[in-house]
Amino acid sequence: MIRFAHTCFQYADSGDGVEDIGLHVRKGECVVLTGPSGNGKTTLTRLVNGLAPAFYAGRLSGAVELGGRDRREEPLWQRGRLVGSVFQDPKSQFFSSQLAGEVAFACENYGIPHDEIVSRTDAAIRAFRLEGLRDRPLDVLSSGEKQRTAMASVCALDPPVLVCDEPTANLDEQGIRELRDALLQFKREGRTLLIAEHRLAWLVGLADRFVYVREGRLRWEKTPEQMLGMTEEERERLQLRSVREGAPAALPPPTGEGVPAVSLEGLACGRGRKCIWEDLRLAAWPGRVTALTGRNGAGKTTLAKILAGLERPSRGEIRIHGRKASPAQRRKHCWYSANDTGTQFFTNSVSEELLLGLPRTQAVLDRARALLRRFALYAYKDAHPAILSGGQKQRLAIACGLISGREILLLDEPTSGLDGGNMRIIADALRAEADHGKTVLVITHDGELIRACCDSQWKLE
Amino acid sequence: MERRSLAVLAKAGAVLCAMVGVSLAPDALQTWLLAAPAFGQLLYQRKLRLALSFGACYLLLSLLLYGIRFHGLRMVIFSEFYVLMFFSLMPVFVTAWDLISTPPGELSAALSQIHAPTPVILGMLVVFRFFPTMKAELRGVHQSMKNRRLTGPAQVLCHPAVTCEYVLVPLLLRCLQIADQLSVSAVARGAQAPGARGSYAATGIRAKDLAWLGIWAAATALFLGMGGPA
Repeated sequence: MIRFAHTCFQYADSGDGVEDIGLHVRKGECVVLTGPSGNGKTTLTRLVNGLAPAFYAGRLSGAVELGGRDRREEPLWQRGRLVGSVFQDPKSQFFSSQLAGEVAFACENYGIPHDEIVSRTDAAIRAFRLEGLRDRPLDVLSSGEKQRTAMASVCALDPPVLVCDEPTANLDEQGIRELRDALLQFKREGRTLLIAEHRLAWLVGLADRFVYVREGRLRWEKTPEQMLGMTEEERERLQLRSVREGAPAALPPPTGEGVPAVSLEGLACGRGRKCIWEDLRLAAWPGRVTALTGRNGAGKTTLAKILAGLERPSRGEIRIHGRKASPAQRRKHCWYSANDTGTQFFTNSVSEELLLGLPRTQAVLDRARALLRRFALYAYKDAHPAILSGGQKQRLAIACGLISGREILLLDEPTSGLDGGNMRIIADALRAEADHGKTVLVITHDGELIRACCDSQWKLE
Repeated sequence: MERRSLAVLAKAGAVLCAMVGVSLAPDALQTWLLAAPAFGQLLYQRKLRLALSFGACYLLLSLLLYGIRFHGLRMVIFSEFYVLMFFSLMPVFVTAWDLISTPPGELSAALSQIHAPTPVILGMLVVFRFFPTMKAELRGVHQSMKNRRLTGPAQVLCHPAVTCEYVLVPLLLRCLQIADQLSVSAVARGAQAPGARGSYAATGIRAKDLAWLGIWAAATALFLGMGGPA
């Protein structure tokens, strides 16, 4: 169904791309592209859905065949009926604020008759169990529901091939299970799947082959059994994430001696008439890394923002080192690092970003230099933060938190969409900060991160 | 409760009638004759909250006008000129709000029905997505600034230009990023396909739509006939 033969592609605006790709994906097969970030997985998906070179300009040589034909002369819109695309962040790709409008969008573009659009859209909404969400604006859906909406939108057009680019980056375990079920159904119907992904455990049982992409080349191919047989050392060397579904982390709730660094009592939060959560009690002590877990939409981010003094609770009090603290006081002690790094950087270079608002003393400059080296950002110290990759931005955001000197760090999904290598750098950094006496609270769905650095867990129901 | 929404064409007809009526109004005070069908249209569609909020506004403006006319009320900030202007424009505000608060899917369906070019339809859809998205982004930027202690009064007052830059730089970069992602999403889903667009929303004109168009035509004719165009 999909065939690459001696395929090379180089983006026009950078030297990046892929080289000498040879890959044949048969009809009804599910192939997973994996490997470190920024090494060409996304480029391969773009060559299949035609976005490269039609939208992302570049030089293409060799063959990319779909259904036995090279289609590079065909206009891009024709490719859209053959290949459906699911991207990492569904919310920034919605064209409508309502479910039905979004699911029908592609069918509308192709001028399908009204009655058929209605039947296809309604069938896709039923198939992805979205019926109950018709009257809710898309913006308020949970990440899992948004990703299912994106899938329904693609499936309404009934394409024989589906490419997914890191579809689970923002999903909790429930969301991943739902996505997996949808993809299994897709495969049972005889369709072809090409998935670029870091998280591998959920793909066992769905994928037929795993292909490793590094520095723009296909390095090897393994069956799921071979992947499961890989040693821990080998995986770490290849910067891969775990292939085995790890046992759910069974960590104790946070405990400690003396006055907790942060504690909350009877905290409640609501939006309008809706109560998000109420009567929360939580305490965290220095030297610990606590995982804040819970399903998508449970209000974990809201809780972290309230703790950091960026939002206000409806009721209850928060104490820092045993003293009741106002939002402004909390901001002096707590650092909040959002999951979305898009709005977090304000200056023109990585080093300026790190030093923003700090006195330029020798000690601070030395610390900044050390942090840049530790987070493998030194080579980019003069680069604009906007050009960094997702993993680099996440590392920079955490480095800014570390240099700020605040003793309580609140991190929101710091490893979503990151490869194994980046995940381990962040896990090590969090552990090291806790060992130096900081209090770390990390919101995460990432079982591997929890196993790598957390020592206690608190679940928001 | 089921909504009894009118077709986009009927709503657009109402806006047109209200605009023609108000701009050729023989007497600004008589525009209540157009406001009545405008509120009637909201109530018919059971948009009760909208009718209530616009109704409260209208009532306040009427009371102010009454005070100005019969009790010599003078206000410094909100002068009688503005009171009269908002009072007479109310039919246009109400009908226009009813039109633009239509779900984008129905608006795009109506535009494809009148053979509007695809770029116009997609442009309209993007505009409807743009404002809520930018609002969320602006909130994100503000929270990041608070987190980095860039919003203190000393910072803002001593360095106003730099503060503006802190807001604008991430916001513009984010704008570019969103534009890019939306374009990718559009072209990957066949937005460039030639020919007429289809639509999920039904576009047919029903008897109730025709009835409301009739009501508006009659109300406008009656209103203008009362004193002849000014």
